[in-house]
Amino acid sequence: MKSRFWSLTTILIFLIFFFFMILPVLNLFTGSFQTQEKGAFTLQNYLSFFHYPSYWRSLWNSILIGLISAAGAMIVGVPMGYMVSRWNVMGKSLIVTLSTLPLMLPTFIAAFAWVILLGRGGIITKFLQTWGIHIGSIYGYPGMILVFVSQLYSYVFLMTLSGFSAVDESIEEAGCSLGSSQLRTFWTVSLPLVLPTILSGAILTFMSAIENFGVPMIIAQQTPNLVVKAYIEFTSEVGTHPGMAYTLSIFLILITMASLVAQRYYLSKRNFIQAARGKPKVKQLTPGKRLLASGIIYAFLIFTLIPFFVALVLSFMEMRGPVFYPRFSLQSYVYAFSRSARPIFNSYFLATISTLVAVLIGVPTGYILTRRKSAYSNALDIVIMLPFVIAGTILGIALITFFNQGWIVLTGTWVILVLSYVIRKMPFIARSSASILYQLDPSLDEASISLGVSPMKTFYKVTFRLMMGGVVSGAILSWVTIISELSSTLVLRSPSWSTMTVEMYQGVVSDDLGKAAAFSSIMIISTVIPLLLATKYFSKDKGGGILL
Amino acid sequence: MSIQIDHVTKKFGNLEAVKDVTLEVKTGEFFTLLGPSGCGKTTLLRSIAGFNQPEKGEIYFNKKRVDKIATHKRGIGMVFQNYAVFPHLNVFNNVAYGLKARNFSADEIQPKVSRALQMVRLAGMEDRFPNQLSGGQLQRVAIARALVIEPQVLLMDEPLSNLDAKLRVEMRSEIRELQQSMKITTLYVTHDQEEALSISDRIAVMNHGVVEQMGEPWEIYNTPVNRFVAGFIGTTNFFEGTLISEQGGQGIVQVSEIKMKVSAHSPCVGEKVSFAIRPEAFKVAQEITEAERSCFLSLPGRVNKVEYLGFMTKYDLELCRGLSVKVVSYDVLPQHLRKTGETIELCYDPQRVLIC
Repeated sequence: MKSRFWSLTTILIFLIFFFFMILPVLNLFTGSFQTQEKGAFTLQNYLSFFHYPSYWRSLWNSILIGLISAAGAMIVGVPMGYMVSRWNVMGKSLIVTLSTLPLMLPTFIAAFAWVILLGRGGIITKFLQTWGIHIGSIYGYPGMILVFVSQLYSYVFLMTLSGFSAVDESIEEAGCSLGSSQLRTFWTVSLPLVLPTILSGAILTFMSAIENFGVPMIIAQQTPNLVVKAYIEFTSEVGTHPGMAYTLSIFLILITMASLVAQRYYLSKRNFIQAARGKPKVKQLTPGKRLLASGIIYAFLIFTLIPFFVALVLSFMEMRGPVFYPRFSLQSYVYAFSRSARPIFNSYFLATISTLVAVLIGVPTGYILTRRKSAYSNALDIVIMLPFVIAGTILGIALITFFNQGWIVLTGTWVILVLSYVIRKMPFIARSSASILYQLDPSLDEASISLGVSPMKTFYKVTFRLMMGGVVSGAILSWVTIISELSSTLVLRSPSWSTMTVEMYQGVVSDDLGKAAAFSSIMIISTVIPLLLATKYFSKDKGGGILL
Repeated sequence: MSIQIDHVTKKFGNLEAVKDVTLEVKTGEFFTLLGPSGCGKTTLLRSIAGFNQPEKGEIYFNKKRVDKIATHKRGIGMVFQNYAVFPHLNVFNNVAYGLKARNFSADEIQPKVSRALQMVRLAGMEDRFPNQLSGGQLQRVAIARALVIEPQVLLMDEPLSNLDAKLRVEMRSEIRELQQSMKITTLYVTHDQEEALSISDRIAVMNHGVVEQMGEPWEIYNTPVNRFVAGFIGTTNFFEGTLISEQGGQGIVQVSEIKMKVSAHSPCVGEKVSFAIRPEAFKVAQEITEAERSCFLSLPGRVNKVEYLGFMTKYDLELCRGLSVKVVSYDVLPQHLRKTGETIELCYDPQRVLIC
């Protein structure tokens, strides 16, 4: 009976993913080979793609920005990870907490704040101009790279940190005992051991950067990337080219898929890091050097958090149009709320419902992946990896196209928003549940059963209890990322189901900066408070849980 | 409560992990399944526990068939290799877990748990959490937890293999004492032959899914039925040769360049014979009496290696080219110790030769 329960659950999860993700994406794929009117086979979209520079340049922009951002994240993240792992810098757990914040906070708020500071009419730009200093434009590559490196470096940093902390001390000692200097040992032993882990982090940065929608929308301007281009082709008021949007989506999926395959099948096989028996030695720096190293790290952490302080401060300022005046005022909040508090309610409602559904499906999936291993569970493992390679915007386009007509029409409802969130967050819950279950010894279940407790009750009394902490913190992280989700929301929302992110985004594009700042601040608060609660109560699963 | 295992076969895919095993554990008996890893001993234990379903055969507790009954209704107590102490419960609640499942009231649970913890010498540790306990203490919690429900059958799956050598020896005698005082039918799985010999009433030696030999520890050690059992239990010297003469139950076997005496009972002259002699069955030089020297064939051996361990000395001796034996000699006086390259006279009682 119990095996039938799990088979049915497996089938159900397959059906959900097949119907709400695979079919819509396949539909997108076939759509890219069809003419707009009659649906006849055509290669026109692909020919146009390679013919018009505005299309193939967007591909080039995506790749280049992704690569530069990943390289930048390594330049910052690797030394920082090494220092926190091996030197006695101050407040290590504080550093880790502060470094995870930019990953959780909405990146487009950072883009927005940097534009306010360094944009054409930016506060710093103008200030410098009065002194006769002209800084270059931050629109395009510089701005995007600035935002991506400062918001996504943590993928590399956290991976490097855990990598260097897991190298067995005796391996490095062996290097030194064989006559290799400390520096040489670092280059020939430690770094090669940790490199696959570092590169995994870099690939995560690369993927996040090229799947990101909000940042290029705000700051890219003349150098749109694939996601932005696909969105514009899909929604343009001048005349839409859905076929072209599908084609651009396919290119994006191909890149992200290649990255994920590289990460999963190449790097993870070269993962030499094992649970260290002897923790590596922490170097005791002289007080002066210690202060210097800590100072550099904290200065960078503060730098990455500046945009969020700026957004908070601006939201309490008086403003007229796009100009802020340095006087305290609640005007922006009054204005934002007076029109409608609905977006706030919508964000909370959608995030809560979606998280609950994602947990409801994700936890059993994690259980199937670890405890009910079979050919089906392996297939399931691959299927739930797919949402990682489909950017939010692309999934949005796929869902809205597929459920626009036919027997189930969901376009324009809140259900389609929940669907897209669940599809994207459920794999995350499943993975974190699976990783908890991997650590739980199956003989705990058996011990309980042997003591006379039925398998069903055992699941509740033992397995579930032990998983709960991890599941709750995973759920909180999902909730927080849904609150700050913009890419698929912008495609899928209907006027009555607008969210905080959409309002904030529209504030930015319509130069209604007070509104943008107010919604940004509410979002920051809604993100930081649950995160702090999560780290306080479930601090065991920090860092690792946030990453794939 | 006795356990009957009747022609049980358990397959994993095409692999027959347990092949047609039949055995009986008597009421109150301490019975051990002994064998190398992968021999099927744990699979058989888990079939009895109900964690896997045998393809063929039947399992009975006291003539009552149990192999179709779910594990939690079989009334067993089980101790696991990696303790499996619930990390989210303290010691008291770990031990009380099975009692709560049996709907005992709090008033009944309290004294039962205290008594069980006293039994495993953990009184006063009730409030500790598993992460505050050592490996030995964790295993005591696991044992208390299995015993407190007063199971009719106690199943133990390599319970000592995660402990260090000294603790292992200590714990095994404690387990034996507990089992004796409670008279509980116990099925114990181990790959450690010394542990099995010291703790068991009876042993079943398993290999490749079948029971090779069943018997009391002394039977298994002294009269192994085949080469596998002889080799697995203790250290043994194996010989192969041809029977060249036989007289009054005593045979002479040509082994390589030398002749050895055996108390032959099966093969005819001219046939191949293989036999084994335990290292401690050999007598060395000064231990040999005149009577023995005249009665048994003595052999010269050249010392290849000496390992002096105080209470005993291990020699590797070369009897002739290509034929070496391991010999153990106890309590060797300094003047009798031989060095590498020297020669020792060896002797053995043909009665102690194991034909296999």
